[in-house]
Amino acid sequence: MSQPPAPSPHLTVALLGNPNPGKSTLFSALAGIPTRIGNYPGVTVEEKVGRFTHRGTTIDLVDLPGTYSFTPQSPDERVAVDVLRGRMADVPPPDCVVVAVDATNLDRNLYLASQALELRLPTVVALTLSDVATAKGITIDDAALASRLGCPVVRVVAPTGDGIAALGDRIIAAAETPPPQPPDLSPHLSAIDGPRPQAAREAIARYAWIDRAVAGVVRRTAPARRPLDERIDGWLTHRLWGTIVFIAVMLALFTSIFQLAAPLMDLISTGMDAVSAWAESLLPAGAIRSLIVDGVLAGVGGVVIFVPQIALLFLFIAILEGCGYLSRAAFLMDRLLVWAGLSGKSFIPLLSSFACAIPGIMAARTIENRRDRLLTILVAPLMSCSARLPVYLLLCGAFIPDVAVGVSWLRLPALVLVCMYAVGVVVAALVASVLSRTVFRGPPQPFVMELPGWRWPQPAVVFERVREAAWSFLKNAGTLILAMSVVIWALGSYPKPLMPAGADLTEAEQQGEALRQSFLGRAGRLIEPVVKPLGWDWRLGCAAVASFPAREVVLGTLGVIYNLGAVDPGEEEGATALVRRLKAATWDGTDRKVFTVPVALSLMVFFALCAQCASTLVIIGKETRSWLWPIVTFSYMTALAWLAAFATYQLGTALGW
Amino acid sequence: MAAGVSVSLDSIAVGDTATVADVLGDDAVALRLLEMGLTPGISVRLVGRAPLGDPLELEVRGYRLSIRRAEAARIAVTAG
Repeated sequence: MSQPPAPSPHLTVALLGNPNPGKSTLFSALAGIPTRIGNYPGVTVEEKVGRFTHRGTTIDLVDLPGTYSFTPQSPDERVAVDVLRGRMADVPPPDCVVVAVDATNLDRNLYLASQALELRLPTVVALTLSDVATAKGITIDDAALASRLGCPVVRVVAPTGDGIAALGDRIIAAAETPPPQPPDLSPHLSAIDGPRPQAAREAIARYAWIDRAVAGVVRRTAPARRPLDERIDGWLTHRLWGTIVFIAVMLALFTSIFQLAAPLMDLISTGMDAVSAWAESLLPAGAIRSLIVDGVLAGVGGVVIFVPQIALLFLFIAILEGCGYLSRAAFLMDRLLVWAGLSGKSFIPLLSSFACAIPGIMAARTIENRRDRLLTILVAPLMSCSARLPVYLLLCGAFIPDVAVGVSWLRLPALVLVCMYAVGVVVAALVASVLSRTVFRGPPQPFVMELPGWRWPQPAVVFERVREAAWSFLKNAGTLILAMSVVIWALGSYPKPLMPAGADLTEAEQQGEALRQSFLGRAGRLIEPVVKPLGWDWRLGCAAVASFPAREVVLGTLGVIYNLGAVDPGEEEGATALVRRLKAATWDGTDRKVFTVPVALSLMVFFALCAQCASTLVIIGKETRSWLWPIVTFSYMTALAWLAAFATYQLGTALGW
Repeated sequence: MAAGVSVSLDSIAVGDTATVADVLGDDAVALRLLEMGLTPGISVRLVGRAPLGDPLELEVRGYRLSIRRAEAARIAVTAG
């Protein structure tokens, strides 16, 4: 008699641990690349699941957000606890819990493990980094530890795969056996004197229990000489040397996202130009061709162009995080950012935003504290990104008199350029400090951060971090940015222009007429009363409105508006043509010049502070998982940009610049 | 610092070791400090300060922990 084949066994296993690289390495070693990255229902916390098969059993490994304890202090920690306690809607409680315990930091890691033992779920302790512990002179008797904890303990060296198969065996075996007994804290609780809140009493009792549990299990032999990582740490957090190394590392990070990404980005634009030219040659002239070439293909290019910077930045971050420098960097910069109501962890996201706010805002994922992360995201677009630079350069070069300021080598245009960068930083600091003391005021947030030991970054974890960042950008933000650029293309192309009868217009004049008559152009005319106090005529208003897809297009748009056709202001010829045209521009019906020093300054200040970058707003929406924040960002930045441009123009005019 | 006299952790010298006497306050910050292992009776060393004086780097229970001076001020310690 043949029996129907039994369904293959299936287990859901939760991976719990303190936030540290050991847990990510263990996840990669067990499950490889995550098979599902989603969102827990109702909360903005990432759900990461990896499916793998071990000896015929299919295991879904759920990577819980890193947490230090079961008294959650952040949404991420709350999710970890709720999933384990079966309180998360639509997420069944796991069949087994794997607790990643860092062998180099046993006491503190056992704190979470001892709380996990109270869940009455089958539990396995994975002792990670035991090779590093051995090198540091820490020996752990894992069999004795298992009997003290009452659950299996498996020694793993995740990077080499040692112990991973044994861990799989233990998970399957544990899921079929009754859960371990919870630790008995009562004798330790009664030993605590003095009035204390229950949670504090429990924390003290738990450490007393841990001290008993590890007594005789852990042996520490002082290494012959001071361990290498302690010596490295001494140098890298040193007042002088630490600061020098920090500046060098950050310079390397910054120039790489600026410089190394440039050839890759050029390659992408050249490739996209070729594809556009090919599409143009295939399709007959008309609305469809315009939609495909100027709408869709331009949009795809506009999305893919960000990938090199995102990948390079996350490569850097993953390496720094893997070797332990990321938290040192936050340690070194914390004081500076506290003045602005932020924390040390905001430094790298903000620095990266000088290259581009998109990777910078994504890098804010490394900030665990919700409030700090949101504040960082809100002010990151104020850092002058590389897209503003051509605008500054063109306007400074054309309209700021090239005179010396004080000393002969300090020229006024260069000084103005530096001021444009400074204005963004100062305004960001002010906005963050005001918001943190008003809208985001709350109970004091503990800045309690582990400084992990030095170790080599794990290539698998680094690769996964880069892949995940690039992929999530393309998949989540990319599609939306693409859709948005098609919409903006439509607004700039319709309604179709009515060419003045009888006039014989050149192609450039036709393009100018088309933009002026389009919805975008009409919007620019409509807002003329709003931009007039800034010293702008309606054409500048048009260009500012039309540059909503990205700031850098303002120059190209100015070219089109002034009937120069689609000039490339990045090229010598296009730039000089544009400058000549801008210098000659006069107010309609008069011979009063549009561009004066105050107008050029007010335009630059506006672009330094405005949120004219659709992709940035999309990424803010995606990263905060709420459309409220892009709206807030756009509103406050536009308001600030207008006010600052207004003040600049009025002041400049009053002073007779 | 005389033995037995309790001072706050932010006032000891870099390189000095002290014993935690108590963590003051009963809010989330105090609880997190206890949970990170700064429990009464444990030995803690001030490894260093960040270049601008804040935060501090501590060694406790065999690992490195960074806390701000405002938090360290709430940890009462005795010498040794």
